[in-house]
Amino acid sequence: MAAVWAADRLRDRGLIIETLTGAELATTIRWDHRIGRSGIILELDLADGRRFSRKDSAGVLNRLSYLPSAWVQRVGSPDRDYALQEMYAFFLSWLHSLPGPLLNPPVPQGLCGNWRHPSAWTFLACQAGLPVQIYRQSSEDDPNSLWQFAAVPAAATVFVVADQVIVPPELPFQLAEPCRLLAIAAGTPLLGIDFTFDENDGWRFGGASVMPDLIRGGDPLLDAMATAFAT
Amino acid sequence: MILLCGIPSESPLAMVADRLDAEGIDYRILNQRQVGNYSISWQIEGGIVDGTLSLGRETYRLKDINSVYVRLMDDRLLPELKQEPDGSSARRHARSFHEALYRWLEIAPGRIVNRSDPQGSNGSKPYQAQLILKYGFRVPETIITNDPELVLAFQREHGTLIYKSISGIRSIVKALDEDDLGRLEDIRWCPVQFQALVPGNDVRVHVVDREVFPTEIVSDKVDYRYASRNGGSAELRAIELAPDIAEQCVALTRGLGLAFAGIDLKITPDGEIFCFEVNPCPAFSFYEANTEQPIARAVARYLNNSS
Repeated sequence: MAAVWAADRLRDRGLIIETLTGAELATTIRWDHRIGRSGIILELDLADGRRFSRKDSAGVLNRLSYLPSAWVQRVGSPDRDYALQEMYAFFLSWLHSLPGPLLNPPVPQGLCGNWRHPSAWTFLACQAGLPVQIYRQSSEDDPNSLWQFAAVPAAATVFVVADQVIVPPELPFQLAEPCRLLAIAAGTPLLGIDFTFDENDGWRFGGASVMPDLIRGGDPLLDAMATAFAT
Repeated sequence: MILLCGIPSESPLAMVADRLDAEGIDYRILNQRQVGNYSISWQIEGGIVDGTLSLGRETYRLKDINSVYVRLMDDRLLPELKQEPDGSSARRHARSFHEALYRWLEIAPGRIVNRSDPQGSNGSKPYQAQLILKYGFRVPETIITNDPELVLAFQREHGTLIYKSISGIRSIVKALDEDDLGRLEDIRWCPVQFQALVPGNDVRVHVVDREVFPTEIVSDKVDYRYASRNGGSAELRAIELAPDIAEQCVALTRGLGLAFAGIDLKITPDGEIFCFEVNPCPAFSFYEANTEQPIARAVARYLNNSS
């Protein structure tokens, strides 16, 4: 939904936008992905008659967090796990092959960027110079509960788009540079960085997302994305 | 301090431990099979990662661990847990311990051979092939498709094809034969990876930091790893690589964020070098046992030079 919203508004800014939804990708009737001496090829024919080629792409807003659910639902046992791993590996490769700014490039840990554990985000945020809370983990903890940051809701979100940093007015602008450094260290040109506020500690890093809520970023985020795609 | 993680009898881990013993280097083993007696606790505070690791009666400061050799198996498959029902306290402890250990390994300072994230590229062969291209190697002509007609056209263009998994799931590499062509329609439901067969000898190159150990494998089967099972043979011998190729192997290993890797090359009769993949957790013992190349010693020394 956020991607469709962004596509409409990027068109308003003069960009030529082609949307490929997960549901449409699930209906791809012909995949052709090649790697070799003559370079890299990607062509796919969709059920609606459209043909998409990597050579037609000048940039991608990538909001695929996982394989299209419509395709996943079609895969039955006994080879289900194998098929899912094969398809994930395939998506990782063809998405990686797309030229131009990729917001965000796929990595093995996530098709639209690395879905890092909170411990890894905290460590990177610390290294980037952001104020962070002490992070603790032990063999007494339930691993599943640790995949989420503290239940305190984000009070403000900084968006990084390539070299551009959008800092909401309630946050001190000095956070801009550490946020930019965090996005670079994370290898994610598009990053939403949440902050929480506490009377005693002030603003602190509260988590980061490789697939941030674009609508929350509003026009400044869209302007930054349009700039990123234009350069 | 050096920490070795895994099952002590597993060949690569045992060989590194033997070398550390032989060189009089102190180390500790985190034996997964004793996970019930282990605990770990750590924190990130002021940019410093520290905590404690208890292995039975001994407790260590994590900041004193300068290097780790990681050969961990899936803790859910540990023999000690085989009789344990899902959700038992023993299973929950093993999972929590390993999760905390893995998370610490990802951010711990020092030499971690290897961290988990950089190993990920091996989970997609064509993705990794695109990374390999950046380091100057050729990769086999590859097509991934769900269209049988494209496969046939690719075969007409390149001759004999092999097929193998796209993902990191281990599969036996097979030549595409008449039987396979008869069921080619099956690929329509999920794309399959086909490659032009590259003639020549396989070379496995183990890279440990800047040290390079190339092993040539002469086999009469497409996939030498399964040669004896398929009635064939495979002979291994240590060889030398041209300095620029060795340097490319080192650069590729580093570029993928690895300290130790097993790179699969093929050298064609006319001297072209193709890179097939980079294994980020190489079971080097098979190669060392057949060639006496001192790979374990290189790993041991790399671990020891971290402080």
